[in-house]
Amino acid sequence: MNSRVNVLLRGSFPLLVILALRPAAFASVDDAQSFALQAAEPYVKEGFQVREDYWGGDLGAEEKKAVRQQLFKGNEYWFWLGTEVDRAKISVHIYDSDGKLAEEPDGWDKGHSAAAHIIPKTTGSYFIIVSIEKSPEERTHWALVYGFR
Amino acid sequence: MTQFSRFLKLSAISLCVLVPCAHGARVPQRIDIKQLSKTVEDVVVPLPNEIFGALNKLGAVNWKEYVRSDKGINFTERPRIALLLGTVIADGFVAVQAEDAPAVKEIGQRVLTLAKGIGVGNSITPHAKAIIEAADKRNWDDVRQELDRTQNSVQQAMNEVHDEKLSQLVSLGGWLRGTEVLTSVVTKHFSVDGAELLHQPDLLSYFQTKLHAMPEFQLPIIREIESALVQVKPLIDVGDARIPPESVRKVNEITTRLGNGIVTKDQDT
Repeated sequence: MNSRVNVLLRGSFPLLVILALRPAAFASVDDAQSFALQAAEPYVKEGFQVREDYWGGDLGAEEKKAVRQQLFKGNEYWFWLGTEVDRAKISVHIYDSDGKLAEEPDGWDKGHSAAAHIIPKTTGSYFIIVSIEKSPEERTHWALVYGFR
Repeated sequence: MTQFSRFLKLSAISLCVLVPCAHGARVPQRIDIKQLSKTVEDVVVPLPNEIFGALNKLGAVNWKEYVRSDKGINFTERPRIALLLGTVIADGFVAVQAEDAPAVKEIGQRVLTLAKGIGVGNSITPHAKAIIEAADKRNWDDVRQELDRTQNSVQQAMNEVHDEKLSQLVSLGGWLRGTEVLTSVVTKHFSVDGAELLHQPDLLSYFQTKLHAMPEFQLPIIREIESALVQVKPLIDVGDARIPPESVRKVNEITTRLGNGIVTKDQDT
């Protein structure tokens, strides 16, 4: 798991403002994770437990990354993707092990984050597809966190 | 002006309706998984309480039955401590399910002792303290969060000193204990949905690959786990078929044997 990182960083709005104003050269996957965690915050109030572990890395525009994840029928999951890059467009979608779109229709993407929601029909492996659809930067940091209830 | 503001309102409403649609409309309904093979990241190993949560939804479980008092002896070999640490953290999640505050507090102390034994005590001390405080207040959500943070901090500290293999053994210990408890519960009260929670073939392959890359750990328990996973694989890798009660029982026998092996000293060490 080359680009998976295990750093604990809790996001807060003032911190995000500072991060958003930082020059891209000093930005990191940790900054992207702060935006992902910020996106997850409202869901914690709805009973979702957000995992400390997360995936992250950098991708060029129009590049994708697949993350394989074991999901359990009976649970409900949200995956939140974040980037610190302004004007980047990112997306996250969930497919089952046959490659069929398996997410609920209430996923979203806005600003520095995107999210996908799944209530698995079966227990097994799923693919979370992370994509940098466009970006003003050559490489765009991304971080993916997930929560379940 | 009124017409214009109505036009603006309608446009705004249309935009709100269309934006979520556009999010879904561009998404391919099917992708070729084989084409992704070079870009697939490893799995994040699920926490035991992800499985326990799903199990709880199938019917009430008497979690007190599964709280374990034997937390293992003090080992000196770091791989053994790592395995045991993962197991004890999983026991913490069981104790939280059972809402057993004394057991949770004992586990918090045990986690700290084991983390010190493996050289990562400093990063765990605040979490162990938080676990004990949250258990005193019976704030179970906070205990769950702190157990996750504990495991994450232990693994992060190990990764920082390039002890990734020990970090993987922590995950493996937790997964084995979680699977032991899952199969105990489902063996007692069999349901097809409960048995389906065992359908984790990619996770099993992940652990097999990691264990295969640890030839330097010549400990009997590590090799025993490696060969046991070969036995478990066909029992849970059943494709679209159902996992029968007999398979659940066999996986329970295997993981119970391994669990006992993790907490007790090898005969020849």
